[in-house]
Amino acid sequence: MTIGPVRDIALAIALALCVAAVAAAQERKTPAGSDLDRAQAAFQAGRYTEALGLARRAADASPTSVRALTVRAGMAEFMGEFEEARAVYERAAALAPDDVELIYRTASFAVRVGEYDRALAQLDRLLALHPAHVRWLFQWAPTYLQPGLLRDHPSLEQIVQIKLDILTEKGDLAQARQLARSYAIVKSGENYCGEAQAKSREGAEREETFKAFRLATLGQPDAADCIWWYGQWLSDEGYVRLGRLMVIEGTRMTPSAGNKESGARYLRVRLGGSREVPKRAEQLFLIARQRYLRDGDIDGAVRLFDESIHLSPTFARPYNYRATIAADLGDRDAALAWLQRALQADPDSWRTHRNLGKLLSELERYPEAEMHLRRTVQLFGDDAGGRLALARVLYAQGKYDDFAKEARAAVAFLANWKAPVPEVRDFLAKFDRWGPGAGLPPAPDPRIIIGWNYD
Amino acid sequence: MTDRIARVVLLIGALVLVSAPSDAETYRWVDEQGNVTYSDRPPQPRQVRPPAPDTKPTPDAKATEMKGPDVKTPETKVSDVKAPEVKAPEVRTSDVKAPEMQIPELKALDAKTSVPPTPIPRTGPTKIDELLELAGIRAQLVGLLSRVALDLRPPPGQMSPADQATIDRILAQTLRHEAVYGALRDAFRPQVDRPSLETTAAWLRTPVARKIVALETAASEPGAEQKVADYAAGLKANPPPARRLELLQRLDWVTGANETSADLVAAIARGLSSAVSAVSPPESRLRPSQIEDRAAQVRARANETLREVRTMSMLYTYQTLHDEELLEYVRFSGTDAGRWYNTAMRKALVGALGKAVEQTATELVRAVPIERWARAAMPASHAVK
Repeated sequence: MTIGPVRDIALAIALALCVAAVAAAQERKTPAGSDLDRAQAAFQAGRYTEALGLARRAADASPTSVRALTVRAGMAEFMGEFEEARAVYERAAALAPDDVELIYRTASFAVRVGEYDRALAQLDRLLALHPAHVRWLFQWAPTYLQPGLLRDHPSLEQIVQIKLDILTEKGDLAQARQLARSYAIVKSGENYCGEAQAKSREGAEREETFKAFRLATLGQPDAADCIWWYGQWLSDEGYVRLGRLMVIEGTRMTPSAGNKESGARYLRVRLGGSREVPKRAEQLFLIARQRYLRDGDIDGAVRLFDESIHLSPTFARPYNYRATIAADLGDRDAALAWLQRALQADPDSWRTHRNLGKLLSELERYPEAEMHLRRTVQLFGDDAGGRLALARVLYAQGKYDDFAKEARAAVAFLANWKAPVPEVRDFLAKFDRWGPGAGLPPAPDPRIIIGWNYD
Repeated sequence: MTDRIARVVLLIGALVLVSAPSDAETYRWVDEQGNVTYSDRPPQPRQVRPPAPDTKPTPDAKATEMKGPDVKTPETKVSDVKAPEVKAPEVRTSDVKAPEMQIPELKALDAKTSVPPTPIPRTGPTKIDELLELAGIRAQLVGLLSRVALDLRPPPGQMSPADQATIDRILAQTLRHEAVYGALRDAFRPQVDRPSLETTAAWLRTPVARKIVALETAASEPGAEQKVADYAAGLKANPPPARRLELLQRLDWVTGANETSADLVAAIARGLSSAVSAVSPPESRLRPSQIEDRAAQVRARANETLREVRTMSMLYTYQTLHDEELLEYVRFSGTDAGRWYNTAMRKALVGALGKAVEQTATELVRAVPIERWARAAMPASHAVK
């Protein structure tokens, strides 16, 4: 599933919770309603763990309340508690088999965990709930009639969007584009890529810009630059599966030999090369990362990262986050061990070499740090922060000429990005003037590769 | 040598200010909104006396921080002595034009009247203790620890007599000079590079090095803050020559004193944060990485805040030193042995002091609950405004 629908689902969850809260307000005398209120409030306030706890209590207190069950399942899904979500969705579906919202949610959930056939079956059920003439029109009416039909029947739009996601994620971009055209999601002759690039330049809302590039990908098969952009955006967000597919497609379509080389390198150093990541593992990683970074929920995050690693042992990102957590807790030995496992899983992971090099540098294990930081900048030459870290390690070992070379390269690169590093310039100036001093050079990490910073 | 100690003595006061946001409940320098408030006066004579190291506390004692490079290739190197075109640094003296210095308190640091380091036998390998003695570490540590104790001790009258007595007792025990010196020596030992050590010892035995050590030791003594403040005030009318400033900048560079000072500040902030976090409710405790982040923030701010203090301190400390003598110091510090010594000393000093501060703070908040420190802190925050 793409980020757009995922966010829509999150929004849907929030909306469902609002609806549930209103309904619950009408049932305030019941303990379940009260807990649903509090769950909703906690969710809206960003206290997700607490919200899930309350939703569980509400659902347990009212086991036949479809609303309470739906809220609980939605929150469990949101928190990466997929087995719980599945079980509760099923309980709710058993109580209300023809609930349109519930069917849509279960279809979305199935896509989230990569169970595409199950999702398609749910979409068939959803479609079957519509009147016969609507179904007939949806399936057979000419394209020019479809926009009106989708507008009058929003659930049909949902069906199309989920199918687009499924087809795209399965790598059948040609059929996804065919589907998008047949339902007038995209039209021939439109310059979606130009519009998307304009939005990007004008600093439009991220979500809006993203949707524009998604449309470009669907509507303009030869728009290599936009497809590339879309792939990188997905990579930044952590959607490595779809990100990989888009980068591959962009790389295939670009006429530039340099871009092709760059695309191949990008796949190798950032997206695990040919290592496939199961959808469920990817989603667990994404949610674990949120639980850690957003919620500070270390126990929950660790459990989900470990499950992701179990499902996808060659996926380097969760190992890196396990290392980050270990380091955060002050256990550098454990952090080193996790990074070494990450390297075994993916020896070409730029992020892993970078993290390992910096950690070894902190531990003053400079020769090892140098090895990994050299590999870091070899894998990704534009990593100015990594280059500055390398420069520092070189200086610490008395390799002053190499230090100066790397530091100057980083400073020059950053100047082009309008990300000056005055402290490094100052250090270099003194170094040039007076020779080496006893203090180590600063190694700031300018955030010019923002998306990459969250790998 | 250990001019860093002398300077850090002067920096500790500022450290308390910059680290206050992280430890607001412990210190008296934060207002109700959590804002740090700075005095606009130079350091005042101490109102309190720190517990004397190695002595028992007196309960009623009034205790007293790819494109081509833009950096031009330099035309001068370390070996090039003359550097007349150097711009004055950003010290308060820069707006004053009088070329000749009239140095106040000149007599105060006359090296001839200072006590030189204890003579060291020159036969056989130099022991670590000998090196540290030659470098004046032992003596200078006294001033540093006194200053740390002073800043950890609440002002008179803010704590109950019983709490005050407890605090004095803990400060005297945990900041014992010999204990911290021992920890520093232990941290220095694994870093020893024998040839560099001997080269450093040989330098420290030279007359000019002994003179420098004596000056640094004098500047680290309790009460030097006021002298530096007075001296700085005198510089407003009589700014130092550009060449002098250039030499001091070079010295600061080659010794890595800047980094050492900042590392010390960070170590103290780390120690304080760790101790306070350990006694906080579980939900308020900081993870190690959060403590590190705080220490890094304090370090960055200290770097900025203390630059001027450092320059003034060096001007004061070496005021009786001739430029050529200072240049000798710079030259030695720029050698492999000099870099080794300064790097090893930095690690040892930062490690030992950080541990001592953490231990001290841990015991302080264990013996006197943090709430009582917070209560004691409140009135003073208004006073500082």
